[in-house]
Amino acid sequence: MSKTVLEVKDLVVHYETDEAVVEAVNNISFSLEAGDTLGLVGETGAGKTTVALSIMGLLPYPPSHIVQGSILLDGQDITKLKERELRKIRGNKVSMIFQDPMTALNPVRTVGEQIAEVIRLHQKVSRKEAYQKAEEMLEMVGIPKERSKEYPHQFSGGMKQRVVIAIALACNPELLIADEPTTALDVTIQAQVLELMRDLQKNNQTALLLITHDFGVVADICKKCAVIYAGEIVEYGTVEDIFDHPAHPYTLGLFHSLPSLDEDVERLTPIDGMMSDPTDLPTGCSFCDRCDRATSLCSQSDPALVELSRGHYVKCHHCVKEEN
Amino acid sequence: MGALLEVQHLKKFYPTARGVLHAVDDVSFSLEGGKTLGVVGESGCGKSTLGKTILRLEDPTSGSIQFEGKEIGGLSTGEFKHYRKEMQMIFQDPFASLNPRMSVRQIIAETFDIYPELCPKEEIGKRVDELMDTVGLAKRFANSYPHELDGGRRQRIGIARALSMRPKFIVCDEPVSALDVSIQAQILNLLQDLQEQMGIAYIFITHDLSVVKHISDEICVMYLGQVVEQCATKELFNNTLHPYTQALLSAIPVPSLHNRRKKILLKGELSSPIDPKPGCRFAARCIYATEECHKSTPKLREACPGHFAACHHIGNMGET
Repeated sequence: MSKTVLEVKDLVVHYETDEAVVEAVNNISFSLEAGDTLGLVGETGAGKTTVALSIMGLLPYPPSHIVQGSILLDGQDITKLKERELRKIRGNKVSMIFQDPMTALNPVRTVGEQIAEVIRLHQKVSRKEAYQKAEEMLEMVGIPKERSKEYPHQFSGGMKQRVVIAIALACNPELLIADEPTTALDVTIQAQVLELMRDLQKNNQTALLLITHDFGVVADICKKCAVIYAGEIVEYGTVEDIFDHPAHPYTLGLFHSLPSLDEDVERLTPIDGMMSDPTDLPTGCSFCDRCDRATSLCSQSDPALVELSRGHYVKCHHCVKEEN
Repeated sequence: MGALLEVQHLKKFYPTARGVLHAVDDVSFSLEGGKTLGVVGESGCGKSTLGKTILRLEDPTSGSIQFEGKEIGGLSTGEFKHYRKEMQMIFQDPFASLNPRMSVRQIIAETFDIYPELCPKEEIGKRVDELMDTVGLAKRFANSYPHELDGGRRQRIGIARALSMRPKFIVCDEPVSALDVSIQAQILNLLQDLQEQMGIAYIFITHDLSVVKHISDEICVMYLGQVVEQCATKELFNNTLHPYTQALLSAIPVPSLHNRRKKILLKGELSSPIDPKPGCRFAARCIYATEECHKSTPKLREACPGHFAACHHIGNMGET
């Protein structure tokens, strides 16, 4: 049995502004074991990035505010840590790959220095040793070490994302959070970066939390998948559960919205309407306005997350039963 | 019947300090009324420049653009004004392409200030309502400003604005890539409905092969300014000839756990479009490349009926 690296329990995050309270994350729980890969899938505004930032302890305060819940990293609740203690963990035990490699790097320092910086912060090594390690990291992500003295603008988008990955993995973290790591990249470059992440993750047994809106990317590298809507996990299971037996109407709707390469579909079936306003969520199920299975029950009571089959959880009163 | 739009040997070069940038290099195609031509490629392949050059937002370096049989490539801005209402564009970023200081109604009605002949003054209000209805925008948004609306609704404003001139032809430049999948599907359906009702022809520019497959009748695959493969949509997916198209297809993450394609991982990245060397532009990344590929540029040729590809090795791949 591998050890549990991350355990998020009943997390609720609000953004409090003068006008309203944005309920960004509403009661999310999940856990990750060493070597696990979990894909967190959802649309813009679903709260994916807020979850990631809470785990990193990077939520801006104010306006954000962890209302309840705990985030246990290696058994230590990081919501209770001070900034100074958090800094020891970030980049060391847990690190993050950001969406946009163009803005994640410091434009006035060489990539070698930027990788060495993380190593020197967390490990007692000399400047020279740190730089050597930085060069090794570059080679590991497929960039010749001769380029360590170059600046970010001299690299293309895919190469920059490799540098970001090298920085994230430099201290051998137990948990890696990747927030839309390939969204800004072209498909052929995306394929290269995903391949790289899959290999590194496998070799180092890092737990990976992958945040994305793309089911294709999840199918490529994840073992488990959580679908998130309006700040709640609406379906959770292995990728086989989610892709082959999707049970929540929202998950199903997402799959039907995607144009397929293998089948000829005359017309797509989109999900009606837009995501509900997170400052004014409906009392019942937050998806009920857009759901074609909604009944009066849905608008009155919020469904609980129930286990449909072993390890496959769904939050719906009328979840889709196997039709074949 | 002649084609609605006929583009021949279109080139668009930009002089830069480091040399001449070949953004669009010898592209030819024709488009019939009511049909959709998909243009696919990665960033920097010249697909947006192609769209802009056809609409004369950029002046072509050479080549001809014929719209309904008339040459429009060399017209002055004033002369082109007449054609602009027949040819419209929907832009990629619905956040940047709308004037933040104009309300939805003003944005759509601006057309009729520029082309007063399109709609008598007293009917403008009615026409704007009608257009908003066509694209599925509720009337209550007429006095809203773009920043108050989400991406999907903003893109609908862009579509309403393009439709206000009753164009025969619209260039859609990545109209759905900034949108979430559930909204993307709504916009794609809307574009298809409009085409059916009004017989509009589209050039649909995108990097997303699954979107282009869904919406196009014919597809052009571009690489570094050149068309590498061009044919009917079905044919392209059933009988992919060019090694770049094959790699592109295999690289798409498929949202399914079954019949997964074997990935062809390309080495390296796009080479520079500035002063490209002779020879096939894809050769440096191609697994089939031979000496010939580095020396001579393959011409776009008809490999099977109606299926064009630019590669020296069509037909004898697989043996390498």
